[in-house]
Amino acid sequence: MVAIMRPGHHGSMESVLNVRPRQFGALGWAALFLAVMCLCFVCWGARPWTWIAVSAAAAVTLLTPAVAADLLAVALLGFASYAFALIGRNETLLRRIERDLHDGAQARLIALGISLRATEGLIRTNPDAAVALVAESRENSARALTELRALVRGIHPPVLAERGLGDAIRALALDCPVPATAEVDLPGRLPAPVEAAAYFAVAEALANAAKHAEARSVHIRATHAAGALRIEVSDDGAGGADPSRGTGLRGVERRLGTFDGVLAVSSPPGGPTIVVIEVPCGS
Amino acid sequence: MRVVIAEDQFLLREGMASLLKEHGFDVAEAVGDGPSLLRALTSQRPDVAIVDVRLPPAYTDEGLRAALEARRQVPGLPVLILSTHVERLYARELLADQAGGVGYLLKDRVFTDEQFTDALRTVARGGTVMDPEVVAKLLARRSGQPPVARLTDRERQVLELMAEGRSNSAIGQRLVITGKAVSKHCTSIFAKLDLPPSDDDNRRVLAVLTYLDS
Repeated sequence: MVAIMRPGHHGSMESVLNVRPRQFGALGWAALFLAVMCLCFVCWGARPWTWIAVSAAAAVTLLTPAVAADLLAVALLGFASYAFALIGRNETLLRRIERDLHDGAQARLIALGISLRATEGLIRTNPDAAVALVAESRENSARALTELRALVRGIHPPVLAERGLGDAIRALALDCPVPATAEVDLPGRLPAPVEAAAYFAVAEALANAAKHAEARSVHIRATHAAGALRIEVSDDGAGGADPSRGTGLRGVERRLGTFDGVLAVSSPPGGPTIVVIEVPCGS
Repeated sequence: MRVVIAEDQFLLREGMASLLKEHGFDVAEAVGDGPSLLRALTSQRPDVAIVDVRLPPAYTDEGLRAALEARRQVPGLPVLILSTHVERLYARELLADQAGGVGYLLKDRVFTDEQFTDALRTVARGGTVMDPEVVAKLLARRSGQPPVARLTDRERQVLELMAEGRSNSAIGQRLVITGKAVSKHCTSIFAKLDLPPSDDDNRRVLAVLTYLDS
């Protein structure tokens, strides 16, 4: 775009048109590579640096070095900004939904409950029916709150927003139907998207241990060393878990991939099952 | 009875204040953020405080932290914590000092004003009140295990209500049985769970909650 806008020394329409085909070719290639990378990103989970390396190699073989350098810069900038914008946007959106629900729908329902209570004392005509109706509305609003709670927990668990990953893991361990212990050694708060991805990874591993492995106990160990978050979830269950079959762990793997994180499962028949996740991140 | 309210949402804060005034409470101060709460708690020394877990400026757990800090400075300062969600983790932190004068309820419970004002009075007296949802979470893991599994259905109901912090007469009213029948069930529950019997209501609640949380 910048090249097209540069009119050359004559500044005429003709020179702009003359310049267009060659420049368009470079931008076209850039667009194609970006499209391929975005597709890879969306379909298989992002390994941004892998795809940038692939595109760079392809660019160098297909184009002259000068254009390849331009293209590489465009691809690098374009893709990096795309990836980070996508990650940032998703997490900002999740956080906003969580706040909106917390301050909006939930607050309104509570106010409704209080006003209904006041109404009970005011209604004089057909008091029996009115009271019954009011009680019913109250029950309905309470039910709506229960649903909202479950929804919020699934989008962005409140304990994660309030306390960060360490305590959120401890809370998961407490709520796990199988007795679970948590050993957490994390330096303060990690980037919010990493915390969320790691939280849902641990939740999935715990759910699997309880549902499929018939485990009697689970141990979670979360540490941060050498610029990477590492969480190990091990259980004493039956083992034999095949991560390629369940959709849960595949989803977790994809989400972790967004941050160049990896998931490994060791689950020989007879157990134990050990799920390890590692995500490179600063603290 | 002097009350301090900490709630950032205007509608709820004002609604609670008017509800409490209607029930004869004296609202000493109503604040909307964490730092003002800690100041209000330590300077007002209310008979009981109602505190929302999540408060400005950061909207994390400022309310809970301010309440715990105030209880460190003023041991046993009665606080009733309200939240839109309940966590066993927070319940454990609130109960850690075993000093009583603690309540932890879902905000939904404000709807039922008798339940709410009863809870407030219990906490003000130094008692312990726990939300039924926390108790359900505590019981979920325990119910299949031998001591709790040996309880009769009726004993289980009594145990649940006891863990919520209800008195014998309140349990009797709820289950439509006499106070004497409730005491009999309590004795049987404590024997089955191998807990030392206690006539002190608050010690009884703490013993049951500690047992279920262990």
